[in-house]
Amino acid sequence: MAETAVSIDRSVALGTWVVIPVFNEAVVIARVVRELREVFPNVVCVDDGSGDGSWEAVRAATPHALRHLVNRGQGAALQTGTAYALRRGAERIAHFDADGQHRVEDLARMVRCVADGDCDIALGDRFGGDVTRVPAGRRLLLRCAVAFHRVASGIALNDVHNGLRVLSRPAAERIELTADRMAHASEIIDLIARSGLRVRQVPVTIDYTDYSRAKGQHWTGGFRIMFHYLVGRALG
Amino acid sequence: MTAFQIFLIAALAAVGVTLVALALRGAIGRVAALLWLAVVSAGIVFAVAPNLTTVIARAIGISRGTDLLLYLLVLVVLYGFLAIYLKLRRVRRELTLLVRELAIREASAGRGEPRGEGEPRGEGAPAGNREPGGGRTT
Repeated sequence: MAETAVSIDRSVALGTWVVIPVFNEAVVIARVVRELREVFPNVVCVDDGSGDGSWEAVRAATPHALRHLVNRGQGAALQTGTAYALRRGAERIAHFDADGQHRVEDLARMVRCVADGDCDIALGDRFGGDVTRVPAGRRLLLRCAVAFHRVASGIALNDVHNGLRVLSRPAAERIELTADRMAHASEIIDLIARSGLRVRQVPVTIDYTDYSRAKGQHWTGGFRIMFHYLVGRALG
Repeated sequence: MTAFQIFLIAALAAVGVTLVALALRGAIGRVAALLWLAVVSAGIVFAVAPNLTTVIARAIGISRGTDLLLYLLVLVVLYGFLAIYLKLRRVRRELTLLVRELAIREASAGRGEPRGEGEPRGEGAPAGNREPGGGRTT
């Protein structure tokens, strides 16, 4: 990917721990982690019970390799990585997708935003720039999710279910994900809305590759996520 | 008495005997055992005198005894599903917490816990010093 010089203060980079949930991403994970660690040395990979050699790839790629012995879902994996990083003294927690759809330079801008104290949480916003980069079907689905959250969570965001996030340590300590599967992305929005933490949306580019699209959600998945989210809210 | 009535009574009686045996061994609680015994006993009574269900049903405005049983069954099944679902949710949550703790311990043990404490905290030493390299024991 881009050989852009990502400029970020060394101590800021070291205080930022990047958490990557990994589920059957053996093909791409090594490259994603390598590029990331050129800028952010502390990368935590949580292998969520993959069966395709992801664990071996992850162990070779980063010293902070964690493994769920049983598949527990992306939300659970993020929370595991976050708990681990917090125990090791992380000052900021970043969420990053394993499939290579995010860009390191985008993450660096978001990290700076949190490190400078402009916000407690930075959320990636794929609609902040060139919207045509987002496939039309995806755009429609996500617009629906955005509208849904405007009502359900009472928070007006441009983009929801974007895997790129940066949280300050206090924010990460307050937000504990209990939705184990994909509904965590909805849960986190609720938690943010209720916490009163300062949120900033940072325009990012999602690189939609055939690989990432194949791994991504089918539109019916949106209903499943909504169902899990609503059940979770109803039952607490 | 029809053959089916005899079969039903025998089956219910077997369940009753099992319940008593389980309760005596302490495998199930006394209260639970008594409640289930009450249900089984009622079943035997209704098996012996099927018309009794209709008498009770008429008394509360339902025309047939079998309808009464059906309505009760629907309530019991719904409650059962909900109870099992809630229990499953709790077990899943506990499983996640367990798997999480195991993952963190496994990763921490591989490089010796002492290194973990107060690690980066942002002081500007070069990354090379922080990365455990061959820290993992395999």
